[in-house]
Amino acid sequence: MQQGHKTGESNTIQGMEISKALTIPKLFLEQAGKFGKDSIAMREKEFGIWRPITWHDYLENVKFLALGLISIGLKDHDKVCMIGTNRPEGLWAEMATMCARGIGVWLFQECLIEEVKYIVDHSDARFIFCESQEEVDKAISIINECPKLEKIIWDDPKGMRHYQEDCLISFKEVQRLGKELNQKHPHLFEETIFKGHGDETALLLYTSGTTALPKGALLSHYNMLTMGQNLMAVDPCLETDDYVSYLPFAWIGEQMMVISCGLQIGFTLNFPESSETSQANIREIGPHVMFAPPRMYEQMTRTVQVKYLDSTWIKRKCYELAAKIGYHMANLKFKKKPIPFQWRFLQALAYLMVQKKLKDHLGLSRVRNAYTGGAAMGPDHFRFFHAMGVNLKQIYGQTEIGGISVIHRSGDIKFDTVGVSIPKTEVKITDEGEIISKSPSVFQGYYKNPEATEKTLIDGWLYSGDRGFIDDDGHLVVFDRSKDVMILKDGKPFAPQYLETRLKFSPYVKDSWAIGDKQDYLTTVICIDYSVVGKWADEKKLNYTSYPELSQKPEVYDLVEKQIRQANKDLPEPARVRKFINLYKELDADDDELTRTRKLRRAFVAKRYDQIIEALYSDADVVHIETTISYEDGRKSDIKVDLHIRKIVD
Amino acid sequence: MSTTFLPCGDYHQNYAQEHAWWQTKFIKGKMILLFLFLFVFIPVTANSYWISVCNMVGYTILGALGVQLLIGYCGQLTLGHGAFIAVGAYASTLLILEFPWPQFMLDWGIAYPVSVIIAGFVAGIWSVLFGLPSARVKGFYLILTTMAAQFITVDFLLTQYVSQIGGRGQAFSLPLGTIKIGPWVIDSDLKVYYLMLILVIFFCIVMANLIRSRVGRAWVAIRDNDISAEVMGINVVKYKLLAFFVAGFIAGITGAFWISNLAAISPEHFPWFLSLSLVGVILIGGVSSIHGTIFGAIFMVVVMELLQLAVMPMADTYPKLLMDFLFIKEAAFGLAICLFIMFEPNGIAYRWQQIKNYFNLWPFSY
Repeated sequence: MQQGHKTGESNTIQGMEISKALTIPKLFLEQAGKFGKDSIAMREKEFGIWRPITWHDYLENVKFLALGLISIGLKDHDKVCMIGTNRPEGLWAEMATMCARGIGVWLFQECLIEEVKYIVDHSDARFIFCESQEEVDKAISIINECPKLEKIIWDDPKGMRHYQEDCLISFKEVQRLGKELNQKHPHLFEETIFKGHGDETALLLYTSGTTALPKGALLSHYNMLTMGQNLMAVDPCLETDDYVSYLPFAWIGEQMMVISCGLQIGFTLNFPESSETSQANIREIGPHVMFAPPRMYEQMTRTVQVKYLDSTWIKRKCYELAAKIGYHMANLKFKKKPIPFQWRFLQALAYLMVQKKLKDHLGLSRVRNAYTGGAAMGPDHFRFFHAMGVNLKQIYGQTEIGGISVIHRSGDIKFDTVGVSIPKTEVKITDEGEIISKSPSVFQGYYKNPEATEKTLIDGWLYSGDRGFIDDDGHLVVFDRSKDVMILKDGKPFAPQYLETRLKFSPYVKDSWAIGDKQDYLTTVICIDYSVVGKWADEKKLNYTSYPELSQKPEVYDLVEKQIRQANKDLPEPARVRKFINLYKELDADDDELTRTRKLRRAFVAKRYDQIIEALYSDADVVHIETTISYEDGRKSDIKVDLHIRKIVD
Repeated sequence: MSTTFLPCGDYHQNYAQEHAWWQTKFIKGKMILLFLFLFVFIPVTANSYWISVCNMVGYTILGALGVQLLIGYCGQLTLGHGAFIAVGAYASTLLILEFPWPQFMLDWGIAYPVSVIIAGFVAGIWSVLFGLPSARVKGFYLILTTMAAQFITVDFLLTQYVSQIGGRGQAFSLPLGTIKIGPWVIDSDLKVYYLMLILVIFFCIVMANLIRSRVGRAWVAIRDNDISAEVMGINVVKYKLLAFFVAGFIAGITGAFWISNLAAISPEHFPWFLSLSLVGVILIGGVSSIHGTIFGAIFMVVVMELLQLAVMPMADTYPKLLMDFLFIKEAAFGLAICLFIMFEPNGIAYRWQQIKNYFNLWPFSY
């Protein structure tokens, strides 16, 4: 039920030359002029329907907002922070900032006050866009400690009636000021945009920082645009495509899809009703392109596995049969073998019987290209999606290179690699085994951090800090972060994330953490999935009241042991897990254990849980933990638990 | 409607799309097949016996729609719906037979269609009259007042007085050719079948749209809790009477339609058992569901016919079976209602929904 007619050639970007003079706002102006009132730029789900916003509306809103920012005093290259969920207003704010020649800085919505303070202060932002009362409260509480912050622009009026602070100004008010300015200087908006140059900074994105404080990567207009062009040279997007924007704008992957690709092609962005409904909303839209970190795909896999277990006998058998056919087909595809006729027939059967509906449930019916990146994804998950007939591809890249540098090509997918570099991008391995890359999208440097820039950017080459190698087919294999690579007892290097992602294929395991550098054997710390294991325990009639209690049940240990044994089967002897422990809580970004993009911060957790590591490598059967945990609402409670250690003997 | 299971990639940009009846290609295809089945397949393949069974199903659907409206959507229990069907049938018959129509109207076949509409209004107003107590009473008491409608109308007024009009005695005979719409003379089961289809489809559409309109929402609010409905600003008495009027109107049309299938009408066509069985239809089919009304009618009529077919061969050995068939039928009806209330209290419509869900959720269970 799509409306709006997007006509014309499928992929204009192929022929377009991205010169240094082009900026994102210039492109935006051109695209908005081209698509105008006939074509839908974005939709937002509100009150049960997908409210369409045309390119014309998009342009008008951005124009007045940009002029409004100028009239409240935005100067060239000023930083403007933005915090909130994915909604059209957030994107307008970002685009308006760039149009007014400012630099956009996105924050993760769930950032704690200290993180907000650090980024706002470090980025020298003068304005901050806050979506609703919650974000406004965060901003107000830090405004005295961030002297450079002048105005807080809020959007959602709910709960804002009694806020009297002078620093507050509403989104609508800024737009009204913009309209006034527009009447006085009707061409100011266009003039401001045409002053821009491609080498100017467009965005300042803070990297998640698995090791230290976040670093702000400066990306120019040229970086962003060339990145999108080079990605789409591999997998062209179409104007008629739908894309669902629900991952944080502060993540480079979302910027890459929405700004770098979306703007160039002009596909329709869809914003979900709220973050809780995003999965259902994705299903409604049925996007053609998807880019998500592995955890989203892991979540989908887990949903399917759990629902499969709860299904009736006939449905389960059909599913099993279709999965068997799908896996066989996926294996043939990975090995690039010709597919025999009878298997084609069986595949068609499996598609009709199960896969079609399965994809429909997950919202993957129309997906042409699904990408995963930002962290490692296990081979099991990868095979799972290919067995379903979803063209899932691995992407490798960093914020510092505009998002991506290496990607799988359709028909040339190997689940243990991340693919081949995109056009105009060179990837090499240094003598130390570090992955380095060079492309027009390599960033300008870290903001106010020349030492880090010097270490990362040498002669135009970006040093990733990841260890890897290039295999016989020219595919890049990313091993792990250099400092995370373990040395096993036989002297071989081992990537802990490989083991961790394999364990995560079990629906019962939410997170895992592999330990064992230079030790005699490997151990893991497991975080069970509370809802899945909880449901399992309900069915087994096991009593439990809390996560810590459930995690320490001997039956749950048995369950996890079974999953680990399964994973052990495919591992070489020195890399097998010999001991494990169920953690009494889930790892959480609010406790600094994970980054905001849910990557494990190994050094931090190793320090925090040193007692556990110590116990795992001693003869102890139980480790006693006394600690304080803080809840999301700020409450703190003391926890005293005895964690059991389970040995796995072959 | 929002309850439709939409496939991935099918979304609404405005409320008109969201309210559309047939939203997916699959549903459209399904409905086209259904129409082909009803308008082409059945008339071509069925013999006149099965056509007459279909006509009976259609009559039951039309009759039960009003009961569904009153009980299922407005919560007004009624056990006298047959009376309003009778009023419609008699109003239409009297108009055709006794009213001094100008000759050209008779020739052009306008008399019957006009009488059908008037019959609808007469029955509607008659229904409102007996709906008046609903302003004060609920539940069992309302059942009694509606039962009173049955006995006052059929057993007293129609039998004692109306039947005497024209001095024909008990029955009004309707010779073939009396019933015609324009040049279309309704003189065979097949023609009745087509008339029935058109009326059933028309009233199902009307009902379905009424239910999701402001009026329908008011009715549902009254059903769920009349006090809160009143607090919400709904004029409870007005909407209850409106429900009685609409239900009576449909009943009147039903009765007026049914005379096209009869050679003669007499009060015996509208016994109290008719009113009772219509309530049975919606209980079996599913309360608060238009699908349920249709399923219930099909179940009641077709199962009873099958029962009859099953009993027939045995009649040679047990002649008593044939003699007592009416009692067997009623016993079977009672048994069916008991079994449904015990094992499928939400009716066939609920089972239908479950079957659809089974496939919609494939290969999962939720």
